[in-house]
Amino acid sequence: MIGTMGISSVDRLLSRRALCGHLARTALGVTVLDTLVGSAVGRAAPAAPVGDVSVIFLMMRGAMSHLDTFDPKPGREEQGETKAIQTKTPGVLFGEHVPKLAGMSDRLAVIRAMTTETGAHEQGTYLMRTSYSQLNSIVHPSMGSWTLHVQGKRSHDLPGYVLVGNGNEHPGAGFLDASLTPVPVADPKLGLENTTRPAYLSEKQFRRRLVLADRIDRDFKQLYGGPQIAAYDQMYKDATRLLGSVDLESFDISKEPEAIRSRYGDTTFGQGCLLARRLVEAGVRCVEVELGKWDMHQDIFEALPNNVGTLDTGMAALLDDLTERGLLKNTLVVLATEFGRTPEINKNAGRDHHPAVFSCVLAGAGIKGGVVHGASDERGFHPDRDGVTVADFNTTIAVAAGLPHQKEFSAPNGRPFKIGGGGSPIANVLV
Amino acid sequence: MNRNLLRRASSSTTVAVALGVAATVLAPCLAAPPKAAKKAQSQQQRQRAGLPAAVTADPPSTIMEVAAVDRSRRSAVHQAAAQIDSLLASSWKAHGVEASVPLKDEQFLRRIYLDLGGRIPTYEEATRFLASKAETKRADLIDNLLESPDYVSHFYNYWADILRLLERPQKTLFFESYLWYVKDSIRTNKPFDGWAHEMLTADGRVWDNPAVGFQLRDAGMPLPYVDNTVRVLLGTQIGCAQCHDHPFDDWTQHQFYELAAFTSGTQMRGRGKNKNMMSRQMGQEGARELIQEAKQKLDRSTAFVQFVAANTTAVSFSEAPLKLPHDYQYEDTEPLAVVSPKVLWGEIPSGARDANGREQFASWVISRDNRQFARTIANRMWKKVMGVGLVEPVDDFQPGNPPSNPELLEHLTDEMLRLDFDLREFVRILVSTGTYQRRAVVYDPASGTPFRFAGPALRRMTAEQIWDSILTLVARNAWAVQRPTATEVAAAANLDLANPSFDAAYGMFERFTQKYTPPRRMRELQQTVGYRGQLLVRASEMPAPLPLGHFLRQFGQSDRETIEGARTVATVPQILTMFNGQITHSMLEKGSVIYDTVVAHTPQEAIDVIFLSVLSHKPSGEDRKLARDEITTADTPAAGYGNLIWALLNTREFIFIQ
Repeated sequence: MIGTMGISSVDRLLSRRALCGHLARTALGVTVLDTLVGSAVGRAAPAAPVGDVSVIFLMMRGAMSHLDTFDPKPGREEQGETKAIQTKTPGVLFGEHVPKLAGMSDRLAVIRAMTTETGAHEQGTYLMRTSYSQLNSIVHPSMGSWTLHVQGKRSHDLPGYVLVGNGNEHPGAGFLDASLTPVPVADPKLGLENTTRPAYLSEKQFRRRLVLADRIDRDFKQLYGGPQIAAYDQMYKDATRLLGSVDLESFDISKEPEAIRSRYGDTTFGQGCLLARRLVEAGVRCVEVELGKWDMHQDIFEALPNNVGTLDTGMAALLDDLTERGLLKNTLVVLATEFGRTPEINKNAGRDHHPAVFSCVLAGAGIKGGVVHGASDERGFHPDRDGVTVADFNTTIAVAAGLPHQKEFSAPNGRPFKIGGGGSPIANVLV
Repeated sequence: MNRNLLRRASSSTTVAVALGVAATVLAPCLAAPPKAAKKAQSQQQRQRAGLPAAVTADPPSTIMEVAAVDRSRRSAVHQAAAQIDSLLASSWKAHGVEASVPLKDEQFLRRIYLDLGGRIPTYEEATRFLASKAETKRADLIDNLLESPDYVSHFYNYWADILRLLERPQKTLFFESYLWYVKDSIRTNKPFDGWAHEMLTADGRVWDNPAVGFQLRDAGMPLPYVDNTVRVLLGTQIGCAQCHDHPFDDWTQHQFYELAAFTSGTQMRGRGKNKNMMSRQMGQEGARELIQEAKQKLDRSTAFVQFVAANTTAVSFSEAPLKLPHDYQYEDTEPLAVVSPKVLWGEIPSGARDANGREQFASWVISRDNRQFARTIANRMWKKVMGVGLVEPVDDFQPGNPPSNPELLEHLTDEMLRLDFDLREFVRILVSTGTYQRRAVVYDPASGTPFRFAGPALRRMTAEQIWDSILTLVARNAWAVQRPTATEVAAAANLDLANPSFDAAYGMFERFTQKYTPPRRMRELQQTVGYRGQLLVRASEMPAPLPLGHFLRQFGQSDRETIEGARTVATVPQILTMFNGQITHSMLEKGSVIYDTVVAHTPQEAIDVIFLSVLSHKPSGEDRKLARDEITTADTPAAGYGNLIWALLNTREFIFIQ
């Protein structure tokens, strides 16, 4: 069963890859070349990875505590109840609730000196997703939309970008075209809902309805045409294309063998990671999976085991599964959060917001494993060395994903933007 | 009608379930011999239950008593509206803007129902208004809507998004009473300054004084509370200054702490489930006894302990000093120094100078001398009606973000003060302006040019407006369920902690959980108003947050964790829901409003009925021809009706407010 599934989907993927890879090379040759030439001047730039990279972005919403996960400070009062454990990398310790990830630290690049200035969730999450500070006048595109904008979709029918979580606070395509908006999936166990036409409704009748709606709508659209209406027109097109597609199956994780499903953990996040793998395998370029409930202002040590455990099981299963399928070398896995949590434990036995230093993790395509980059000070309060800004971090992602991080793009208001926010890539973690 | 059609109807396994086929039942009702139609219907009923009886029944004669609108003030309203129009007219002239064309009656009708009542008009409401020859028919409709339950429901949704209204913001905060209180404050049209003051200074438990919910919403987070309060009530963002001096604005971290010092003495007893906290802070013997007994007697005591803890959560105030953080980095003061309270601008009103810190803060916020309070709410209401604020975003007033029309904003601020913060009267004036009653204008905020209000901005309906509009096509009674009142909840949840009895308390806990705990309540309500997993009630009466996959969340309802977290952005799952979702199907069930309305008319009238029901206007000549062609060339005429309704629902015209 597993064998059959694996083979057929790999087959499908290979043929698709070959085709799309070729198209991408021809279409993007110029930009990629530009980047290489541009960055060859000055510091030695890491080479863009060969191949067509997918990105799975795991977003820890609410601010993940660095001391309790990837940057423990054993022996310090600040450490609280979370113990430190050995990882596979000599001398590197993680928190006790990520034993599985500790066991595969040779595949991870841990960045321990992430630093930002905003301690507000909304602004912090926005910065992490877009590389830019929130403005009143314009919405910046998220990294996934940039990726699609530059590299295009890989599958004709499937969306290029899927978000497992809440779309409301997501900047989505920002000022880029609405077609680059992520498709939100609320519950990975249910996948994409309402995709089955009622039994009585033939394909022909369905088309008829669409044509009728379109005709009746023409006066309205003529009067009120603009970006809002255009975005809805686009979504109607995307939804219609998706409905008729055999690829829809990739949204259905019940098609996975039970053994695989349970490996990811029976949590929305875990099953979301599994869905992400399935989608990437089927040709979706970017998937973001959210895990919330990190905003532990109270009783943090009661809340940690569950949430960190969910992360550990889901992310470890994802990395293993991708490795086993030979997909990890072409899939960049990012673990990010908006900021860290205070080393000091507050009077409600919680930790508060702490933008000064925090941890993020990279793995997979273009990334060197077994690396710890940067360090926080002995209390986990400030960066001690090699501080990494969000722009540096996202620029590193851009390099690993083969995106032209030095190229200037213009927003509709004429302002220039760079993918990753114009930071410096962390050469130390790039292959 | 023909046998073929009937056979089709009765042999189908999903007869009348979904749009197309429901319409095949619809057709025999229109034309086939009644006996055969009956047979098809009874078979349909056997196969599955349709719409719940509570929803197809007539609505109750009184849904709620809403404060009456004063008709005698109508000419004053029109005068005030004319003043606003003349200010706009000079702005148009100055900026070379051409005013949008005045709305036709049918466009006005649809917009006013949506903007004041949160839903589209029914077929009856539409035909009645369009047929009326009364000169005052627009003003009459405005006044009627402003005193309708629809208005209360719609503005509840509006405030729920701003105030982050949730049933359980924390495990020991039971907020049903507070949510009802917000709805009731809208129902009674409480003046906004008094309402705000009440919430900022409320004491006691949520059962006794539901207004405490506003302070409890940020329980355990006294600094974010100040940030959120200033953002919501004074339209100013000082949040960054909580950690460091504001990068672009004038606010320093020191100022933030000075302001927070007013409310730092706010106590919330019993909060948190940490055992040490409980014994240390709760100080209530009765609760402790109950909890100890629960731990001995119950395998799983957590939910019960939370219930008891909710009963000990109460707001009170006694002055307590606020210290600067230990990592305070600026040279003006030492870290950990005690800060004395100071307002951001202006001064504490003389009448409150001897009062406690929290009262001083509240009095300053709502003072008539603090124009920023009036300005903020005036700008919010302007945006609510016109689609775009004079300052955008509405909670970011600062020198670097000036109003697009300062003169108008100051005039509206004066009006708000003149009306003594009567928000509904203020809205009444705004919707009476000629500007509001012009065709919507497409505006792209990313264009970088300010909006000049040649008419209101084109908007997609909010999630709640879409839901409540579809419900209008389905439910004769959309009010079969309302959220519980504070009295009702208090009676069910208020423990007698002076004479604690474990058995009595546990019995109460079980009854309360059964009836009010959100997932259980949802399941309970399925019995009365459930249709294929959906609750057919007004959006305002549903618990929050709804599951992420719910229709309302798909269309952008807030998770109520961030202030104004609702969105109106297009996504693919929304379209799939419009195509194939249960709620789309519900409207062609027998007993739905649109089904019954179409059936009550002749086939010749049906096309007009469908257009008026869904889009609130008759079809143009060309559209009528398109519709007729569809019906005559579809597999069956009935399928044609189904296709037509489906098609109208899936137009941009349906979900955008023109």
